[in-house]
Amino acid sequence: MTDTTRPGMRRASCLLARALLLACLLAMVIPAPAAHAAPRRSAPAAGATTPIDHFVFLMQENHTFDNYFGTRPGVDGIPAGTCMPVRRGQAEPCVKPFHLGELGSLDLDHSAEAFRVQYNKGRMDGFVEGVSTQGKDGKLAMAYYDDRDLPYYWNIADEYVLFDRFFSSSNSGSIRNHMFRVTGGPGATGASESIPKEGWGDIPTIFDRLEAAGISWKFYVENYDPSITFRSRASEEDVDRGAQVIWVPLLAYARYVDDPRLFGRIVDLDEYYEDAAKGDLPAVSFIAPAGDSEHPPGSIRAGQTLVRTLLTQLMRSPNWDSSAFLWSYDDWGGWYDHVAPPQVDAYGYGFRVPGLLVSPYARRGYVDSTTLDFTSVLKFIEVNWRLKPLAERDRKAATFLGAFDFDRPPRPAAFLSTERTPAVVERPDPVPVYASYAVTGTLVAALVGVAAVRRRRWA
Amino acid sequence: MSLTESSMEVEHDRSGATVVLHRVDQATPMVRPSRPRAAAEQGAGRWAWAVPGALIAVAALALSVRLWRLDAVGFNSDEAVYAGQAASLAGNPNYSELFPVFRAHPMLFQAVLSPFFRSGEVDVAGRVVVAVFGVATVLAVYLLGARLYSRPVGVVAALFLAVMPYHVIVTRQVLLDGPMVLFATLTLYCLVRFVQGQQLLWYVAAGGMLGATMLTKETSIVLAGGVYAFLALTPTVKRPVRISVLALAAMAVVFATHPISQALAGRSATGRSYLVWQLFRRPNHSMSFYLETVPGAMGLLLVAAAACGLWWLRRQRSWRETLLVSWVAAPVVFFQLWPVKGFQYLLPVAGPVAVLAARALVGLPLPARLRRYRLPWAGRLENAEPFHVARSVRALRIAAIAAVTLSLLVPSWKAVNQADNATFLAGSGGVPGGREAGRWLAANTPEGSVVLTLGPSMANIMQYYGHRRSYGLSVSPNPLHRNPSYDPLPNPDWWLRHNDLQYVVWDSFSAQRSKFFAERLMVLVRRYHGRVVHTEYVERTSSSGTRVPVPVIIIYEVRP
Repeated sequence: MTDTTRPGMRRASCLLARALLLACLLAMVIPAPAAHAAPRRSAPAAGATTPIDHFVFLMQENHTFDNYFGTRPGVDGIPAGTCMPVRRGQAEPCVKPFHLGELGSLDLDHSAEAFRVQYNKGRMDGFVEGVSTQGKDGKLAMAYYDDRDLPYYWNIADEYVLFDRFFSSSNSGSIRNHMFRVTGGPGATGASESIPKEGWGDIPTIFDRLEAAGISWKFYVENYDPSITFRSRASEEDVDRGAQVIWVPLLAYARYVDDPRLFGRIVDLDEYYEDAAKGDLPAVSFIAPAGDSEHPPGSIRAGQTLVRTLLTQLMRSPNWDSSAFLWSYDDWGGWYDHVAPPQVDAYGYGFRVPGLLVSPYARRGYVDSTTLDFTSVLKFIEVNWRLKPLAERDRKAATFLGAFDFDRPPRPAAFLSTERTPAVVERPDPVPVYASYAVTGTLVAALVGVAAVRRRRWA
Repeated sequence: MSLTESSMEVEHDRSGATVVLHRVDQATPMVRPSRPRAAAEQGAGRWAWAVPGALIAVAALALSVRLWRLDAVGFNSDEAVYAGQAASLAGNPNYSELFPVFRAHPMLFQAVLSPFFRSGEVDVAGRVVVAVFGVATVLAVYLLGARLYSRPVGVVAALFLAVMPYHVIVTRQVLLDGPMVLFATLTLYCLVRFVQGQQLLWYVAAGGMLGATMLTKETSIVLAGGVYAFLALTPTVKRPVRISVLALAAMAVVFATHPISQALAGRSATGRSYLVWQLFRRPNHSMSFYLETVPGAMGLLLVAAAACGLWWLRRQRSWRETLLVSWVAAPVVFFQLWPVKGFQYLLPVAGPVAVLAARALVGLPLPARLRRYRLPWAGRLENAEPFHVARSVRALRIAAIAAVTLSLLVPSWKAVNQADNATFLAGSGGVPGGREAGRWLAANTPEGSVVLTLGPSMANIMQYYGHRRSYGLSVSPNPLHRNPSYDPLPNPDWWLRHNDLQYVVWDSFSAQRSKFFAERLMVLVRRYHGRVVHTEYVERTSSSGTRVPVPVIIIYEVRP
């Protein structure tokens, strides 16, 4: 049998190959002029549905909304007359919210059991008892910080967006909440709340979606030690660095750990600064802190400094005009919050946590009361880059698109003060200065004039 | 001493113990060639137009030299401070938070400047104001020279000052010294009028004018020492104690404007501390600083002419020379002894030196041998008529004046055209690259950025052009060792660690002055991940003769 089309096809494919080769050579020899003229921007951002080409998500730890912003005017803060019973169901004695300030804090119990006691089937009257049953001073749960302690965060809230109905995804501790953060689900199901020895298996993550869509991403980890993964974690827990696997759930996935390409996207936080400085931030950046996570009894000032440093770098990055930076807290840390979290499934929500958004498109001084949780962040990424949902939670979650105002041009970056009330420069009244010098000048001129005129009279 | 009152304008004879009165508006009894009557009458008519014409030409020349490429280089530190004060006084929102209204000096000049600084970034307009002060000083020197000697002396002195590099350089900058010298020259003029006319109101006016001089820059009080020295050395000048007290009172009342205006507007403590700091601060230059810088800047030929004139016209010595020399000596002696030295501090002597030089050259004695030779445009002198002899002598003197003028004009022209320089002497001009670096900060760094510079001078420039709060690393935390106007950073390392400083600026000018702090700054840059984000260059001639760019200012981005 003879294939009559073959010679023609061969010629055509030969021509096509030559044309492609020529095009490739031309492309190498003649660089596109636009590539030189355009300001440097990081690659992908392909197909973003909003002007946000670079999204950064930082997860701090262990504070509630009321603990940080409960006394802030204009938000759903601590109700007047609040007094938390020492024992559930007994009005007296009770503990009123008090300013913690420099008194020092403890790592309050924030397990699933603590949540159960504190939540108390929606009565929200077990915050003191939930802590005291663990042998700690339960009154501490009613402590709060305010703008004296968190001036930078409060200034951010003045200028950008503060969410006052942002719930932690899980009504338990860090592991589930971090899994919700990257997968939209709790990870381990049932009562178990630990990382399986074999890792998280094939639970899909948002990074799988991004990879599949060819959208750039990185997971920046403060004080990153690549040798600590789910396989080595047990031996590292003694030195308190094994928590890296909790904050970066990808390190508990065999496919991320074993694939050099994927593993190479988990990098030290230093790279964030370099990428931002060069304008090479990926489309999606997740950040996991280490010692600056504000986890009690850690320093909240150190946490503020970390956030400020990250924002400083973003604001002076060429990527600023197309970026958004959101940070929240992985769980409530045992602190009081007065809003009963909706229970959307067996795992949550947990209590409210602080959430703030900084972006050149963020509404100024806006309080967003949309009900959100960590999967809302996934939802935003999915909407912005047209990705499929990962799980039921993120499919149903609301987004915070209302916190942006894309009708206005991006705001120029501005570093905010770490002082809540910056020193006011008093400008002296200029009128006495002008008046006194004018009078004196006139007098001297008159004196000289009179001297000159008197001479003339004599003449 | 006897005084003869007359209805005419009078002056003392220069040398007599008794006072003989002359018309001052006629030629003073200097060397004057005899001229035929008709020619003299013709000449008088020409002079009536020649002097104003010459003055207009001199003023135009003075203005041109002062305005030429005035904007080529941005402000230096002192200019930034005075301009910042003026802008702050005017309520310019860009500067109100960065530059306090009251700092070290009185505010007369800043108040004059402030209407030009009401909004936006202004620099060239401020320099134009100072240039106008400079031209006014040139005209005031004419008045002084004409009043003391003759109109030709006045015109020549004005010409010398118009192109004198020292005066040109300083009056192209927003510094207090340019305006201060105008008032100082007017003070001298009032004093001359008092001595010549013995009209006591001029004495009081001189006191008031000296007060105005001090209101521009309080260090000009040293000129009172010159007045005192003159009066002490010239007992023939009548000066009743009561009137002296009145003149002093006029000076004090005028100067009192400074504290009174501060008190009315809400005084800051800076002014009080500043004097203490000035009294005890460490020397900033060697003892030979003025000798090395000022005569060259004034013109060596000019200084030589002034000094030689005192010698060759010694027979005509009078109170005039005593007055001018006293006026020169007081600041020279004071600032030579004063540990803190500044290039522009001796500017008040420029006018008197110009007058002395003009006097010397207008009355230049010519050697007899020179008179025997025929000039191209005159007959052989010993055979020529007196008029031709006079023309030839005048031509020689004009040639000498032209030579001195040229010796001033050439370095002035070079100075105003030298925009780029990798070295910098405070007070000698703008700082190359400073304005551009500051503007880069303003355009490319977020609002609220805080900058660490090597020294306070660059901090002032960055604050002025960059609108960013800037701190000098070398500012001492010890209040006894720092200018009270400057805020120190007691622990810059802590500030950097807490992300309270986001940019570091290194500059070659400060680095040359302080190697220790330059090194310390670079340690911080390395420690806090410094990344070069901007560099300003000037071109310098290399050893091979080629022009090479030299970095003078480097801006680093830093982070914890």
